[in-house]
Amino acid sequence: MAKPRTRDEISKSVRVATEGEDLVRVEELRKHFPVQTGFLASLLNRGNIPTVKAVDGVSFTIHRGEVFGLAGESGSGKSTIGRLVLRLYEPTSGHVIFDGIDLQSLSPEEMRLMRSRMQIIFQDPLASLNPRMSLGQAIEHPAQIHMPELSLKERRNRVMEIFHAVGMNPPEAFYDLFPHQISGGQRQRVVLARAMITHPELIIADEPIAMADVSVRALLLDLMMDLKKEFDLTYLFITHDLATAKYVCNRIAILYLGKLCEVGPLNEVYEYTCHPYTHALLEAVPVPDPRRRRTEPMPAGEIPNAINPPSGCHFHPRCPLARENCSVDEPILREIRPGHQVACHYAEAFLK
Amino acid sequence: MAKSKEQLSETILEGATWEVELKQVGFVRRLFMARRWYGADWWFVAISAVGVVAFIIVAIFPGWFAPFSPDALVGPSFLAPGEHVDPPILVVPVSSAVQKLQDLAVPEGADSPTVAVLEGAPTGGALNEQAQKIDEVIKDQPKGLRLRPIIDRYPTLSGTLQAVINGTDKVAVVQMMEFHAVKAQYPTLREATTITGVTSTAGGFILGTNDIGQDVLSRLLWGTRIALIIGFSSSIVSLIIGVPLGLLAGFVGGTFDRLLSLLMDSLYAFPGLILAIAITAVLGPSILNIIIAISVLYIPTYYRIVRGQTLSVKEEVYIEAAKSIGARSLEILQRYIFPNVIPSVAIIFSVNVADAILTGAGLSFLGLGLPPTLADWGIDVARGQRFIQTAWWMITFPGLAIMLIVLAFTLMGEGLTEIFNPKLRDR
Amino acid sequence: MPDDILYSIRNLTVEYKTRGGAVRAVDNVSLDIRRGEILGLVGESGCGKSTLGKALMRLHDGPASIPGGELWFDGRNLMDLPLREMTDIRGAEIGMVFQDPMTSLNPVQRILDHLTETIHTHEPETSDKAARARAEELAERLGIRRERLKEYPHQMSGGMRQRVMISLALALRTKLVIADEPTTSLDVIVEAKFLDLLKELQKEFGLTILLITHNIGVVAEAADRVAVMYAAKMAEVGTAQDVFIDPKHPYTQGLLKSVPNIKLDGGDLYKMGGQPPSLLHPPSGCRFHPRCPFVMDVCRNEEPAFEPVAGDHLASCWIYQTPVANKVIGEQEVHNG
Repeated sequence: MAKPRTRDEISKSVRVATEGEDLVRVEELRKHFPVQTGFLASLLNRGNIPTVKAVDGVSFTIHRGEVFGLAGESGSGKSTIGRLVLRLYEPTSGHVIFDGIDLQSLSPEEMRLMRSRMQIIFQDPLASLNPRMSLGQAIEHPAQIHMPELSLKERRNRVMEIFHAVGMNPPEAFYDLFPHQISGGQRQRVVLARAMITHPELIIADEPIAMADVSVRALLLDLMMDLKKEFDLTYLFITHDLATAKYVCNRIAILYLGKLCEVGPLNEVYEYTCHPYTHALLEAVPVPDPRRRRTEPMPAGEIPNAINPPSGCHFHPRCPLARENCSVDEPILREIRPGHQVACHYAEAFLK
Repeated sequence: MAKSKEQLSETILEGATWEVELKQVGFVRRLFMARRWYGADWWFVAISAVGVVAFIIVAIFPGWFAPFSPDALVGPSFLAPGEHVDPPILVVPVSSAVQKLQDLAVPEGADSPTVAVLEGAPTGGALNEQAQKIDEVIKDQPKGLRLRPIIDRYPTLSGTLQAVINGTDKVAVVQMMEFHAVKAQYPTLREATTITGVTSTAGGFILGTNDIGQDVLSRLLWGTRIALIIGFSSSIVSLIIGVPLGLLAGFVGGTFDRLLSLLMDSLYAFPGLILAIAITAVLGPSILNIIIAISVLYIPTYYRIVRGQTLSVKEEVYIEAAKSIGARSLEILQRYIFPNVIPSVAIIFSVNVADAILTGAGLSFLGLGLPPTLADWGIDVARGQRFIQTAWWMITFPGLAIMLIVLAFTLMGEGLTEIFNPKLRDR
Repeated sequence: MPDDILYSIRNLTVEYKTRGGAVRAVDNVSLDIRRGEILGLVGESGCGKSTLGKALMRLHDGPASIPGGELWFDGRNLMDLPLREMTDIRGAEIGMVFQDPMTSLNPVQRILDHLTETIHTHEPETSDKAARARAEELAERLGIRRERLKEYPHQMSGGMRQRVMISLALALRTKLVIADEPTTSLDVIVEAKFLDLLKELQKEFGLTILLITHNIGVVAEAADRVAVMYAAKMAEVGTAQDVFIDPKHPYTQGLLKSVPNIKLDGGDLYKMGGQPPSLLHPPSGCRFHPRCPFVMDVCRNEEPAFEPVAGDHLASCWIYQTPVANKVIGEQEVHNG
């Protein structure tokens, strides 16, 4: 193992990936969670503990400067992937390469220091803020950890700057408040501020607006895009809402039961949909226009459980185009149009 | 971009929550404004807090409130509360210089003074007792005085008093009320002090006296000190040991947690008093050992609660967020977990003190741990047991004191729980 | 009351006692629910729509009370009934489907027992056999296979549980189903199927459904008519076509522009300034005035009435109620109120 890198080396290392190149490369990422069973059952099974295959062989890349969407329903593994990219969970197998560095190769201490470059914002802002820490303290904490060279005054200034950057003015008024004293939209801004203070390069946004009021969502999205421009950010945008994704994502990946169905530029995927599941998902999104109600039926059945997923293509029991080999051979992600990949044996047929 | 910033400017939530309002006034006003918000719970906490503070003040300065020293033999035994006391007094000729019993002391070798006493009255015994006491003290002093009066007994009161008038005896010792009744008939005699020198007992003792003549009230007030010392010390020790262990066990988990929990659960499963008895029996009687015994008893309580809270807080999203910003484990424990676990500890502390006091009283009741000369409620209750029918006040008042202090602490703890845990409140 | 109106809510007010004082979660609201329709009730969180839904069954918790209003359900004013008679109506004539089916179903009771118990409670003379047969038939109709009826709630998925909730509502030939955020916890495909189911039930059983949601898209997909609430008051009511294509109330206009539409090409989403007001100290006059791009002086001082603007399309906005109705109602720049 190489000599452990210093904080400086890690957090200020020369950027390997430049604009447009791969900031993050995920390779065959797998995360299997053991199912909690009783003592007796584990004895009887002797090592064959059933697992939930939350993420089962996912590979994709995120370009620097883009908003990469990760979309799927429950059980798709999107949230788990978000945490795997940050190494908040340890992968069962596979690699996450961030700016040329394989995260698996880092020691726990090195990984901890790496976190100044990659941050996450969660779905529920109230739950993700420590109720006993003031807003200012919460935002200041990452700076205390990763920027020890700053004096107290400099650090405070930085916090005030970030408050201002996320639109909470006057900053001094908010420093001493606590999470329960502000609105939901404001809380999400605070969470953003906390993620931003170390000027990270990558931000994982896990359903960031799902819990916000409808009238506040557009404001938050706008803020996120402004910050992206101002601070040169790259987003991994995890969502179940394909309508919102359309407004912010450059590229998008569709997940089903731990595997990728389709990846590509957003307009490509939405307009030239190749995978039956993606199509169903897009059709299912409610349209706020009574003249354009959905007429197409939805796939039968429900999402199966991830402990014993269907054989071959996971979607085959519900797929209108399924044929015999679909239940036997697992389709691999392959390029069907420029920049557009799909995992389906009959994608070409579907496209037509 | 500047445009969107303007639009995004947010001001503090309008109709600011009442908590922000509260922040803007001083602490004392805040306490009273809080009444509006908390309703009945506020009263619970307020009243019991007043009680607790009162107890604490009494415990720190018992001398301010107690009329006597707790081991002073201030009067006859088994005096009922408020029962009128008829102390034995010195009766001397008007011209005599004698004021108090000690004035009768004479140098070694000189003639002892004679004292007239009514036959059959308890005054003789009291006189001897008192004289002995004084004698013990003065014989070691430089002047070398002794007080060993010779007692002459007379069959009637008039005979007793007459003896003083005609000089046969230097002084008479009779009961105060008896003398007052006939005082007018003896204009040449006057009343000096009582033989004990204490004059304030004419009205009786508020809570009566116990079997050896000690003032129950004074013992009660002085006993507060021991009760609270035991209560607070053992609670604090339990807290200091139990809380960090609970935090660590909950946070670290694994085998460490399992082993420690096993140990704590076994300890917890013991009936408290029995465990305390066992420990005190092994360690021997002393306040320190009682404190140790009771502390051991309550460590599992703190451990369990803190561990449980830690386990649930550990699952919160903000802990994951703390990890994601790169905080070290120790930092997470200190700044994220501990502050969220502490409120529950503060609340059980109060109830814990109550429980510790009760256990302490139980131990001293059983005769374990404390030397019997100390003023302690448990000891008093034990002593009063035998006389429950004749001198009910001996056991009742200490018992009531125990009950009241436990009630005060418990109510305060429960009230605080209601205030800090809104889920338990009715909306 | 005209025959085609199943439930007529008139001047309903629901008040909560809070630490800060009395809060009106629903303030003088009137609404008609027509027989056999799906009425969508939209609004953001805190606007009072859920409270309204519960009040229709007089199902509210301790600190809430109904100081005023009439609830004319099928010819009777429910406010006149003693509370214990409401239990006969709840479940039997008015059914409710909640957001989180996990907490509304008894975890230790099988699905089949849920259904048969409901039937027996309201129709005690039904035999066990008959009740069971009805339950099975109903489940089948709702897409729940017979074998699954023996399961417990935790063994089923969210979508299934919602179907169970609907079947409970239907077990007793309910007239009105109040669905409070029924799809919020569901995945999008399951949600789509659930909405299809609602529409089928409407057709087949002539069911009337009050669909309460904050999701504008859901309302557009499923509702015949739409009611928009803002800050405990009714802002706009009309057919789905009317409200979506020609919204009258500025709040509705803003809301519709701020919701992403997957069928449209990208572009900016509209951002409404400000935030929903506190119900403890609501703004004077029209409650939307601090955020309204068309605010006039009268808006700050007096509350507009909830009146028809065009036929059956009602709104509470001064724009339509003053002589200054020549105001241009079009796309305007956003500015903070």
